[in-house]
Amino acid sequence: MSALAGDPDASPVRVLVADDDADIRDLVEFKLTQAGYAVEAVADGIGAWEAFAANPPQLAVLDVMMPGLSGIDVLRKIRESEFASVPVLLLSAKSRDSDVDTGFEVGADDYVIKPFSPRELLHRVNGMLARAR
Amino acid sequence: MSWEGFVSGLRSAVVWVMDAASVPVLVYFVLINTSLLVLVVLAYLEFRAQERRRATALSWQGAGLAPGVSLLVPAYNEEAGIVTAVKSFLTLRYPRHEVVVIDDGSTDQTFARLEEAFDLVPLPRELPQEIPVRARVLGVFVPRDGRTRLLVVRKENSGKTEALNLGVNAANEPLVAMLDGDSILEPDGLLHVTRPFADDPTRMVATGGAIRPVNGSRVVSGRIVRVDMPQTWLPRIQLVEYLRAFLLGRTGWSRLGGLILISGAFGLFRRDVVVEVGGLEPGTIGEDFELVMRIHKRLRDEGRDYRIEFVPEPVSWTEVPVTAKVLRNQRRRWHRGLWETLWAYRSMLFRPRYGRIGWLALPYYWLFELAAPLLELFGIVIVPLALLLGVVNVSFAVLFLVLAYGYAVLVTLSAMVVDEWAFHKHDRWRAISQTIVASVLENIGYRQATAWWRLEGWWASLRGRRHVWGVMTRTGFDEDPA
Amino acid sequence: MVVIGGALVVGATVAVLGACVLLVLLVVAVRARRQLRQRRDEMLLSPLRPPLITVAAGEDDDGTAVHTLRRAAGDSRTVLDRNIVGLLTKIRGVPAEQLVGVLEKHGAVHAAARELTSRSTVRRARAAQVLGLARAGDTVPLLVRALDDEAVEVRNSAAYALGLIGDAAAAGPVLSAIGHPERGLPAATAAETLQSMGVGISEVLRAGLHDAHPRTRMVAAHLSGERSFTRGLPDLRHLLDHDADVTVRETCAAAIGRLGRAEDVEVLARHTGQDEPLSLRRACTTALGELGDPAAVPALAGLLVDPDPRLAELAATALLGLGPRGREALVAHEDGPAVRSARLMASLQRASA
Repeated sequence: MSALAGDPDASPVRVLVADDDADIRDLVEFKLTQAGYAVEAVADGIGAWEAFAANPPQLAVLDVMMPGLSGIDVLRKIRESEFASVPVLLLSAKSRDSDVDTGFEVGADDYVIKPFSPRELLHRVNGMLARAR
Repeated sequence: MSWEGFVSGLRSAVVWVMDAASVPVLVYFVLINTSLLVLVVLAYLEFRAQERRRATALSWQGAGLAPGVSLLVPAYNEEAGIVTAVKSFLTLRYPRHEVVVIDDGSTDQTFARLEEAFDLVPLPRELPQEIPVRARVLGVFVPRDGRTRLLVVRKENSGKTEALNLGVNAANEPLVAMLDGDSILEPDGLLHVTRPFADDPTRMVATGGAIRPVNGSRVVSGRIVRVDMPQTWLPRIQLVEYLRAFLLGRTGWSRLGGLILISGAFGLFRRDVVVEVGGLEPGTIGEDFELVMRIHKRLRDEGRDYRIEFVPEPVSWTEVPVTAKVLRNQRRRWHRGLWETLWAYRSMLFRPRYGRIGWLALPYYWLFELAAPLLELFGIVIVPLALLLGVVNVSFAVLFLVLAYGYAVLVTLSAMVVDEWAFHKHDRWRAISQTIVASVLENIGYRQATAWWRLEGWWASLRGRRHVWGVMTRTGFDEDPA
Repeated sequence: MVVIGGALVVGATVAVLGACVLLVLLVVAVRARRQLRQRRDEMLLSPLRPPLITVAAGEDDDGTAVHTLRRAAGDSRTVLDRNIVGLLTKIRGVPAEQLVGVLEKHGAVHAAARELTSRSTVRRARAAQVLGLARAGDTVPLLVRALDDEAVEVRNSAAYALGLIGDAAAAGPVLSAIGHPERGLPAATAAETLQSMGVGISEVLRAGLHDAHPRTRMVAAHLSGERSFTRGLPDLRHLLDHDADVTVRETCAAAIGRLGRAEDVEVLARHTGQDEPLSLRRACTTALGELGDPAAVPALAGLLVDPDPRLAELAATALLGLGPRGREALVAHEDGPAVRSARLMASLQRASA
């Protein structure tokens, strides 16, 4: 299920994945890599921001609950940076209205709640990138 | 009088004192450290329980029963860090909370910075006067977007107590927490410290969360991104003190049901109960201690079923003094507050109506917190003097040293083990060795100095001198470990 | 002259110093043990991790990864099962079902049912969680029994599991477990569990409103509001009028505000009266606004001049949402701080919407 249509010489779409939970990080990385994306995976908010600033991806998947800078903190920084339009998907445990509200208010493009379906996550990532193009 | 005569007279005096006091003093030292050890054991049991809770943890999201929280932030000349602090408070993970900043007549740019950062507009709101506040309210402001849950209240300068009481009046949520402008909260801190309220909504009236020194840790945008040890020895020793006294003592006490002290940097209270007991008492220095005592007294007098609990997870971080001068002021202030509150509530001692607070917690605080510096310094003066004069032999002096100080190190190390077990916040071996060294160093000079300062505070109170608030020079936080 | 025996001194010194050394070693040992255990677990898991990730990501098209997982044995299996349980709290769908299958093949679900009676608290709690994550519907009776466990962690885990399984038959026991004298189920857990059960718990909620324990009544009232349990309105009204606990009454007020209709204005308005506790008056005022019925206008208008400014402002805010009649009632007090504040807040919110 590759998201790359058209030009076979195009370099793979870069996606940044940030989650302090190694299992989630690895499985999302795996899923997206299998789908043809180039994934950079980091384990915390600071790392996510630094990775983003150093090499801005085409899309970011951020876990909300991370120690130090949370996904929402990182999102806030992204929206205030020069690459503010990068689509961002937030991952969070259980739907709590306030988290979701805050996420969208700060500028998330989509929100996936744990427990989540990896397949659905991929669909959403594909959709977000298609819309961004 | 000849020199020999003087010495011989002194000698007899010391002999007399020693005869009278030597055994009691020794007994006192053994008791005080044993009681601390008892608390350590209790805290150990409590931490086993914590471990169990962690091993079986379920992700708790607060659902609908998470009560709303108003974070009260009194601010006086805090231009350096106030905006960062408020931003970090606003972005804590919690379903429903607001931030109430009370500008206590700052003479610097505190308000201007807030106004600019949050686009504040004046609101013609009249604040309730549930707790009487003398100072005049100069204005109430909200962000122009109408949605950011921030309220800024400006008032004439009249001190932190009135600022907090005004904050309680202005608060919109059922729970209030009293913060400092330099507090840093864990992003999930509110979830932890409100949990007891959500689990027992009809009885819980107050909860306390642990605080830790932030010195040395890396802070970005008001969040701790890496926990590290302070760079110099004075704050390191205080870290050790915090581990021992705040964490263990309070967790231990909480287990015994005798919790009376909620630390100054973080306590969460039911707003209606705070109003009911009349808010914070102006003119006292141990505000939070005094408030908790008043709540205990009032609710027990009324025979109400209530709970106060301590949440051992680190909820809040604060900057501790790095210079002796600021530390001295802090300790004087704390001890003065302790004395004044204990004295004010002396009627609760040993009365059956007040349960464990009356017969266990309060006597403990009187004997082992209030009187401790007195007896400690007495020991330091008398024993060397006695040794010098040949009144006691070396063995006694050594025994005294070992019991008084070795025991203290022992207790502190126990605290470290328990902490290591429960939290392992400091992830390096270097941190552990520094903590061990600090726990030894504490007994060489630091402990004696703080004992002296505490006595100074006590004495100042007895002499009725007005307290002068020391100013913590704030450098603001980001990227700048002390 | 004070002389202490040499033996006593030596003994005391050795004891204290020895204990210090022991503790230092203990700190080191605790940390080392933790690190070693982590490393060991990682090592045991490492050959199984790639297939685990493959299955969890839903990429195991030919089934070889699942097969590898199912064949795991010994200590590796134990570590693997623990990781699977962790993953099941984070993913759902076909991958989750496959992982549950692995657990069942390993006998882990069956073992969990047995472990509910283990002597160790941690084991019992974890066992309950596993049963919930594996959606082991046939263990509901066992889990209901575990609601009465002596350890709060186990009670919480049992409730959590029952919530995941979603069997409405457990709703009654969960609700009544809140009020157990010594071993109460924490209110927050109970509320979350009941929220995730499907329809059909209305009768349970009604029974809860009549429970002897205030905490239970409060949770029942709260959930009635959350789940639009309108048939509970008569009971909610009754509790608002008569309950001994102020928190319960406030919760009822909020619930009535969400569910109620025109005929509920009266009971809410009654409790905004001067002789009621202030927090209750405020709760009822807010509820009147939420109710949204213009019949509340007279009562709210009366509050605009209340000595409590917050109450007045809440009334003004409520009136702003009650249509032309509401706005009309504000005119008489246009210049007061309550109305001006309420208007300003409303306009700020409109402007940024």
